[in-house]
Amino acid sequence: MEDRETLHEDSGQQSGRTRSFLYLLVLLFLTWLVLTSSLHWHELLVGVVVSVLLALFLNKTYLGLGMPPLSIKRIWFMISYLVVLGVEIIKANLDVAWRIIHPKLPINPGIVIIKTDLRQDIAKMILANSITLTPGTFTLDIIGSELLIHWIDVKSEDTEEATRLVGERFERYLRVIFE
Amino acid sequence: MRIFLSLVVLAVIAVGIGKTLMEIPFGEDTTNVGGYYIQSGRDDTGAANIVTSVVVGYRAFDTLGEVTVLFVAAVGLGAVLAVGSASGRRRDVEPASLVLYTGCRFLFPLILLFGAYIFIHGHLTPGGGFQGGAIVASAFLLVYLGCRGRRIRHGWSKATESLGGLVFVGLGLLGLTAAGHFFLSNYLPKGTVNHLFSAGIIPIIYVAIGFKVGAELAGVIDDLVEESE
Repeated sequence: MEDRETLHEDSGQQSGRTRSFLYLLVLLFLTWLVLTSSLHWHELLVGVVVSVLLALFLNKTYLGLGMPPLSIKRIWFMISYLVVLGVEIIKANLDVAWRIIHPKLPINPGIVIIKTDLRQDIAKMILANSITLTPGTFTLDIIGSELLIHWIDVKSEDTEEATRLVGERFERYLRVIFE
Repeated sequence: MRIFLSLVVLAVIAVGIGKTLMEIPFGEDTTNVGGYYIQSGRDDTGAANIVTSVVVGYRAFDTLGEVTVLFVAAVGLGAVLAVGSASGRRRDVEPASLVLYTGCRFLFPLILLFGAYIFIHGHLTPGGGFQGGAIVASAFLLVYLGCRGRRIRHGWSKATESLGGLVFVGLGLLGLTAAGHFFLSNYLPKGTVNHLFSAGIIPIIYVAIGFKVGAELAGVIDDLVEESE
């Protein structure tokens, strides 16, 4: 791959490269284990070889993502985040279903801007996808630290208020995981 | 008159087809080769996947032809499109949204891993070199859509493609030299069926095909993207 943009100003930092290499290696090897679902030494050996090769070639692309360092607290928050996201998706599904079957169709669609404090690309992407996954809200685009949201029932056009209503329930957890 | 003639022609065709179908016994194997593959494919080639034992075992020579067809098609497409874009200059494209850009950078290694998994396990599970290669190429397509401005280095893709083809043909020729064998004979130890290291040369050939097909299809995507810009 040829990197035509200068994405990684800090690519000179050797420690960053090593960390993203190890990160990618572990991620790839865990994925390999899930795919093969076998602990036979043939599978493990080939898995290690494939993961090391891919991680050697591609660790640069992971450097710019801003993957968080792992700690027990962060992993605990990741698991809680999945639970919170699941609950929010169910709640939002019921809410939108209620709006659809209601004879008066109580919707007030519009586009609002919300702000985020998250700095890493990967954190912004997870926030945007979580907002998209919950029915009723949809992330159109991310520009800098602002997210364009299409909202089925615009409760407030004020950026601060909309941020609190749409993004804060997810951002609370993402801030702990990524900061 | 024309209607009468048409009816006569139709009647002749109907009788012909009917007589032919009467000859074929219903619900029975009409050839022996399919039954033979199913009966002895495992023992002959050591591959747990019968489709693979046919494609890369019994009919490996045919597969070499298919790989060549794909190669010629990719080269032809490249030649046709290269004539069209004689200017060779790329316009700057509008970058994709951060969501897509980040997502494609995150997923790219994982899709490559999945493609590698598919072609490494071609002799054990459904899939193989062609399918794995197509998955690898789809990862590059994602990069072209999400991380615009990035390009495959042509030297790398050409080298990978050539190496894949050389390994395939080279292994086949080695089978020719091994005493009393034929082109693409399975001369390596077959191991235990269902283990990853089994089936002799089949997994090695499928890995070579995976790299070759992946590089070729990624090259095709590259040609098409360049043409459309």
